[in-house]
Amino acid sequence: MTLTLTNLGQYLLWVSTCAMLLQSHGRAGDAAMEKLFTLKVKASLSEKCFACHGGQGDKIKGGFDLTSRETLLKGGKTISRILVPGSPNESFLLTAVRWEDPDYEMPPKANDRLTAEQINDLEKWIAAGAPWPTEERQAEIRKEEQTVRQTEDGLLVDTSGGQSEEWTFRRYQPADVWAFQPLSIPDVPKNGEAHPIDAFIGERLKKAGLAINSNATPRTLIRRAYYDLTGLPPQPEAVSSFTRAYAEDPATAWESLLQKLTASQHYGERWAQHWLDVARYADTGGFSNDYERSNAWRYRDYVVRSFNEDKRYDEFILEQLAGDELADQSLRTRSETEKAFHQARQAGAYTQEESEKLVASSFLRMGPFDPAMVKAPEARQLYIDDVVNSVGQTFLSMTMRCFKCHDHKFDPLPTKDYYRFYAAFAATQLAERPAPFLDDENTDAFDGNKALSKTLLRYAREKKTGLVEKRENAAKEWYRAHNKDYVSHTDRKNLPDDEKPPRHVGLDYIDEGRLKVREQDEWIWNRRLERYEPMVQSVYNGPDPKFLNARKLRMAANPNMAWRPDSRILEGGALQAPGDPVGPGVLSAIAIPTGLKAADPYALPDEIEGRRLALAKWIANPRNPLTARSIVNRVWQHHFGQPLAGNPNNFGAKGKKPTHPELLDWLAKNFMDNGWTFKRLHRLIMTSKAYQQGPTRDDLEAVLEIDPDNELLAYYPHRRLTAEELRDSMLAVSGELNPGIGGLPIMPDMNLEVALQPRMIQFSIAPAYQPSLTPEERNRRSLYVYRVRGLADPFLESFNQPSPNDSCEMRDSASVSPQAFTLLNSDLVSDRSIAFARRLETEAKTIENRIDRAFHLAFSRPARATELEKLSAYVKEMQVYHQAHPPEERTYPTSITRSLVEEFSGKPFEYTEILPAYERYQRNLEPADVNAHTRALADLCTLLFNSHEFLFLY
Amino acid sequence: MTLHTPPTRRDFLYGLGASLGSVAFSSLQANQAEPQTVTPSALAPQPPMLTAKARNIIMLFMEGGPGHMDTFDPKPKLTELHKTESKSTRSLATGFKFFVGSPFSFSKVGQSGIDMCDQWQHLRDPSVADELCNYRGCQAESLNHPEALFHMNTGSRLGADPALGAWTTYGLGTTNQNLPGYVVMTELAMPQGGSRNWSNGFLPAHYQGTRLRPSGSPILDIHPPSHKTREHQRKALDTLGFLNRQHSQRHPEHKDLAARMESYELAYRMQAEVPSLMDLGQEPDYIQTMYGMDDEVTAPFGKQCLMARRLVERGVRFVQIFSGGWDSHDYLERGHSSRIRSVDKPMAGLIKDLKNRGMLDDTLVIWTGEFGRTPDNNKRGGVYSLGRGHNADAMSMLLAGGGVKKGSIVGATDEIGAQAVDVRHPIRDFHVTLLHLLGLDDNKLTYFHGGRFKQLSQFGGKVIHELLA
Repeated sequence: MTLTLTNLGQYLLWVSTCAMLLQSHGRAGDAAMEKLFTLKVKASLSEKCFACHGGQGDKIKGGFDLTSRETLLKGGKTISRILVPGSPNESFLLTAVRWEDPDYEMPPKANDRLTAEQINDLEKWIAAGAPWPTEERQAEIRKEEQTVRQTEDGLLVDTSGGQSEEWTFRRYQPADVWAFQPLSIPDVPKNGEAHPIDAFIGERLKKAGLAINSNATPRTLIRRAYYDLTGLPPQPEAVSSFTRAYAEDPATAWESLLQKLTASQHYGERWAQHWLDVARYADTGGFSNDYERSNAWRYRDYVVRSFNEDKRYDEFILEQLAGDELADQSLRTRSETEKAFHQARQAGAYTQEESEKLVASSFLRMGPFDPAMVKAPEARQLYIDDVVNSVGQTFLSMTMRCFKCHDHKFDPLPTKDYYRFYAAFAATQLAERPAPFLDDENTDAFDGNKALSKTLLRYAREKKTGLVEKRENAAKEWYRAHNKDYVSHTDRKNLPDDEKPPRHVGLDYIDEGRLKVREQDEWIWNRRLERYEPMVQSVYNGPDPKFLNARKLRMAANPNMAWRPDSRILEGGALQAPGDPVGPGVLSAIAIPTGLKAADPYALPDEIEGRRLALAKWIANPRNPLTARSIVNRVWQHHFGQPLAGNPNNFGAKGKKPTHPELLDWLAKNFMDNGWTFKRLHRLIMTSKAYQQGPTRDDLEAVLEIDPDNELLAYYPHRRLTAEELRDSMLAVSGELNPGIGGLPIMPDMNLEVALQPRMIQFSIAPAYQPSLTPEERNRRSLYVYRVRGLADPFLESFNQPSPNDSCEMRDSASVSPQAFTLLNSDLVSDRSIAFARRLETEAKTIENRIDRAFHLAFSRPARATELEKLSAYVKEMQVYHQAHPPEERTYPTSITRSLVEEFSGKPFEYTEILPAYERYQRNLEPADVNAHTRALADLCTLLFNSHEFLFLY
Repeated sequence: MTLHTPPTRRDFLYGLGASLGSVAFSSLQANQAEPQTVTPSALAPQPPMLTAKARNIIMLFMEGGPGHMDTFDPKPKLTELHKTESKSTRSLATGFKFFVGSPFSFSKVGQSGIDMCDQWQHLRDPSVADELCNYRGCQAESLNHPEALFHMNTGSRLGADPALGAWTTYGLGTTNQNLPGYVVMTELAMPQGGSRNWSNGFLPAHYQGTRLRPSGSPILDIHPPSHKTREHQRKALDTLGFLNRQHSQRHPEHKDLAARMESYELAYRMQAEVPSLMDLGQEPDYIQTMYGMDDEVTAPFGKQCLMARRLVERGVRFVQIFSGGWDSHDYLERGHSSRIRSVDKPMAGLIKDLKNRGMLDDTLVIWTGEFGRTPDNNKRGGVYSLGRGHNADAMSMLLAGGGVKKGSIVGATDEIGAQAVDVRHPIRDFHVTLLHLLGLDDNKLTYFHGGRFKQLSQFGGKVIHELLA
C-alpha cells in the first residue's frame, strides 16, 4: 500500500480506530502489553525522548511530539509515519532509535541511545498494536508494581523520595546499588588458606584455575614494606639484617619488621599524604587571590599525628567534621556562664585536647575558596556545595555533585537528600580562630621564618610610605594652589572632583603601579605573620555574614544561635529557583536512622549547633555500610596499588564494581569489630600471602591470557613511586634527608626559572618563591613542601602530584616527557647526585666498591658483575670527560626587577623585589664545588635515579 | 601475523608512556636519517569524525577582556550618553555608575565593511579585514577573571577540566611526533589560573598543553647544564639503556618499561628539534617585519605569532597565545590603544602570512578574551574614571580561515553593548562550533570520568551555523 497525502488522513483515522478497538476489546496479553507500555516503553520514551519531543510550542524538535498516542500518530513536520501500530518496521520511531537513517539518529548523543532491550520492548509494543492505556490505568499499573520490592527489572530502594514518582519507584540492578546494601557477613571460604585474605583472594584465583604466587624475595619484601608504610627506602643495614632474620624465621622476621615500621614516625607522614590527597591539602586558598592559609600546616600535622597515634577512624571522622563543635562543647562544660564561654572562645582559651579538635576541623576549610567578585549568597553556595561534595567523596565514597541539580541519574540519591545534607552545613561559617599551639606541634622554625617575613614586610612598607608621601606632598601643593585646606587621602575620597586634587596627584603611571604593588605586598607579608600566631583555619556555627572576604575571616563575637538558614531544594541547583523547604538530614537510601525524630528518621537537629556532629555520628555509625567500606578500600589500595572497588571516591552505579565484594565487606566488618584502627589493618593485610607474593611469575603469559589486568592478584602489582616518594628517596639515598617531623611549610630549592617567574594574582605579581635558608631545612620530606595552589612545584608536578583543587582518589603515573628532562638535567637531581657521590666516596674506597655501595643504597642489592664492569668503565670515561669540561658556578640573585603592565595606562613599568633568602642562602654542594672524579661518580648516581629499578616498586 | 585493531580512542586509557605526554614519539618526518619505529601513540594522527574544515587552531587570547565597543562593535549611542547616569546593567559593582563612550572613532573597512576602531592600523588592510568574521553573540557566564578564563578555555568555570586544545589533540592527535600537539605561549607572567587554562584535566596527561616559555629555556630543563655536551648525554642514555634493559628482562609483567625508555630517546631528539624551531632568525627579514618584530612594542607578540605559524607548519595541532593587560577599569583610552598597538601588526602579519602560504584555508585563527566589557563604569576614588567593568553578557570575537564565513559580522549586541541580542550563544556552543570545524562532534568526543561520559560542552551544545562558510 502506498500512501498519498490525500489518503493519509483517512489512513490515520483508520489506524487509530483499530487501535482504539484493540484498546477497548480485551485480549489475552493486552494486560501484559499495557504493563509493558507503562513500565518500560513509556519510561524509556520519557527518559530519552520527551526532553526534545514533548511539551509545547516550538520547543518540540521536528514537530514530533511523543507524549501521547494521538500526537505520535499525527507524526511530525516532515515525516508522518512515526508510529504505525502493528507494523514496527513501518514505524519511523524504530528506524530513528535504531540509528538506521543517518539523518535521524535518535537520541542524537551516542551515550543516550536506547539499549537493545529498550528497542526490543518498543518493537513488541508496536507489534501488539501500540496500546496506550489511560493515565488512570497507567497509575494503577504503576501502583501495583510499586508493592513488589524485587522484580526482574531490579530492586526498589526506599528513599525520602524524588522529584517524580517515576524516580522514586525506579528500579536498580542489585549490582549497581551494592554499596548501599548493609554489610554482608561473609563466611571466609574454606579452601585451605590459613589467612582470611588469602582465602578470599585464593577463592577467585582457584575459580580461574590460578593460585597465589610464591613469595617475593626478602629484598623485594623489605622495600615493599618500607615504601608502603613509610614512603622511604630501607637503608642497606636494615636490608641485610632483615634478610638474615628472614632466612631463620620468615614469619617472625616479617612481623617484627611490620611492628617496627608501623611504630615509626614516618608511618604517619606516609599515610597522612594519602589522606591529604583526598582532603585536598594546600597552604593557599586558590582562585585569583590565592590567599595564604597561614595555619593550614597545623591540620597537616594533625593528620600525621592521628595516624601515628593510631587514632580510631570513627573518632578521626568526628573530629574533622565537627571538631569545633566538640571543642566548644567541652569548653562550655568548663565555663561557669554563657558569657564566660563566649569570652573564652574569643580568646581561644582552649585546652590542648580542645585545641587539637579545632585544628581537625580545618578539614572543612581545605577546598579552594575565594569569594572575590562573587555575591555573598553565591559564595556561600560555592562553599557549601564544595564541602558537601568533599564530605561525600572523602567519607562515604559518594560524589555528591551528581544530585545537586536533579535526582541522581543512576544512584538512589534524591536531590532532596542533597539539600538535606547541604542544610547540615548551612550554618557552617568560615573563620580563622584562636587555638593554642600544642606541645606536640613543631614550632622550631618560627624564629627564622618570622625574621624573614618581617624583613619583607619592612621593605614593602618603606617603599609604600615613600610613594604615599610623594602623593600627599603634591596634594598639599594642590590645596595651597587652590587656596583650600588640606584634606587627607581617606577623607577626600568622596568629595566632588573639583574640590580635590586628581586621584594620583604627584604620581606618574610608574609610581601608581608601584604603589599598588607595595600595598599588596604589605598585606601579604602581614598575613604571613599570622603563621606564627596560635590560630587555625576553622569554622563556627552562626548566621551568614553580610560580607565575605577570604583575606580576613573572623568569628562573630556572639552569633545569634536562634537564626535558621532558609534551606530549600534549589531547582536545577540555582539559587534563583528555591523550591520546597527541607530540614537538615542524611542520605535516606542507606536506611540508617539518626534516631533524633520519630516522624523523620533521617533528620539532623534543627539547632544550628550540633548538626555536623550528628551528621558525623551518622557517618561513623558502624551500621553505615559506606563508611567502613570506603576506608578499608583506600587502605587496600595503598598496599596493592589498586583498590578493591576501582573508584575510591565513587561507590555509585557508575563507579567500578568491587573485584572482591565479600573480601571488602569482610575487611570492613573486621576493621570495625577491632576498634577501627589502622595499624592492625596494615598488619592484617601485609601478613597475607597475597601481599607477600612475587611481582612476576614463570607462567606469566598463561596468567595474562586469563587475567590481563591482574584483577585477581595472581602476582603483586608493581607501581611507580609517587612524586613525593621519589624526591624523598633521592634525599634518603644521598644521605641528605632531614627526618624532622611537622612544622611550618618548607621551601625546597625550586627550578629558578619557575621560582622567579612572575605569577599574576588579582592586582599584582605574587612575591617570588624563595627557598628555605639551609640544606637541612630544605631537605625535609616532600609532605612539608609549601603547597601553593597557583604555583605547583615543577618537579613534583611533573611526577603527577595532583592538583589540590580536586580530591585525588588515585595518583596518575603517566610518563610524560618533562620527567625525562627533569630527572636528567635539573639542578635538583644534579645536586642530589653530587651529594650521593660524596657519600659514596666517604663510605667506600674503590670505584667498584662505590658502585656496589650505590646499588645497596639505591636498589637494596649488590651490583652484579656485568653491572660493575660496565659502570666502572662508564665512571672512568666520565672522569676523563669532566677533566676537560669544567662546570660553571651557579649564581643566585638577591633581588629581581619585575615588569608589569599598569592597569590604568596599559604601560609597562618596573619595580624591584628583594630576595633576602638568597643573601643568607646556604648552598648545596654543586658540580663546580667538586672535582672531576666526584662529578663522574655523580653521573652514575644520576643514572641510578633515572633507572626503572629506582622508580618502580615491586 | 596478528591483525592489530587499534583501540577506540575514547574508551582506552593509553598505557604508561606509550607516548611522551606533551610530546610524542615516532617521527614521521621523511628527512630523518634513520627510519623510526612507529609505535601506536596516544598522539598519533586520527581521522576526523566529520568533514573537517580546519586542521589546526591558533587562538589569540586577550586576557583581561577587551571592550567590544572599543574594538569591533561601535556604539554611537554610548557617545551620546557619555557621563550620564547608568542604571541598566548588571555587574557586581554598586554605587553611582555612568556611561562611558568609546574614546575611539570607528569606520567600516574592506569590501565586507567590518567595523574597526581607528586604533587598528594593520588589521584594517582589506586583504586582512576581508578574511575576518566578527562574532558578537557569545556570552560568558563568569564575571571574575580566572573563572571566565577557565570557562573559555576548558568549558568549565572550575578549572579542573580538559582545555579545548586537550580535547582537540585527544580527538585528532597531531602530525609531528617530535613536538607536542598542543602548545601554549604566554607573556612572562602566566595568565590568571595559570596552567589550568591548558590542562589535560581528566584526560590522559599526553594531552596537556606544553608551555613554551617566553624567555630562558622554552621547556624546563630541556637542556643539560653547559658542562654536559650532547655526547655526554648520548653516553649517559646508552648506559641507562644498559641498566634498564637488564631490569626489563627481569620484569616481563611490566609492559610499559620499553615505552618509558623510548621517552628518553624522544627527549633526546626533542633537544635537537626545539632549538631550530625557536630560531626565528631563520625567517627572512621581510617576514620578521611583517610580524612587527622590528618594533619593541609589537615584537613580543609578533615573535609568538610567528612561532605559532612555524608550529602549525610543523604539524602542531593547537597553538594558543595569551596576551594580557586588557582589563581597563580606568584610563581605557591609554590602556586599550596600547594593547591594540601591541597585537595589531602581528595579527595582521599572521593572517597575511598564513594566506600567502595557503595555510589559512585549514588553519582557524581566533581572537577572543574571556568576556567583554560594560558600557558603564563606577566612580573610582570619587572621580569619573573612564574605563569599563567586566561584562559576561556581551563580547566580540574575531575568527579567520578554517571554514568560517569570511568578511562577515555575525550576531549583534544591543545599542549600548550591554547584552548580546542576536545569534546569542553561550560559550559551550562556541566550543561545539570549533570542534565542528575541526571535524569533531562534541557529543561523540567523550571521555568516561567520574561516573559519566564527559564532553567539552559539559552537557551538549549547538553548532553556531551562522559562523560557518
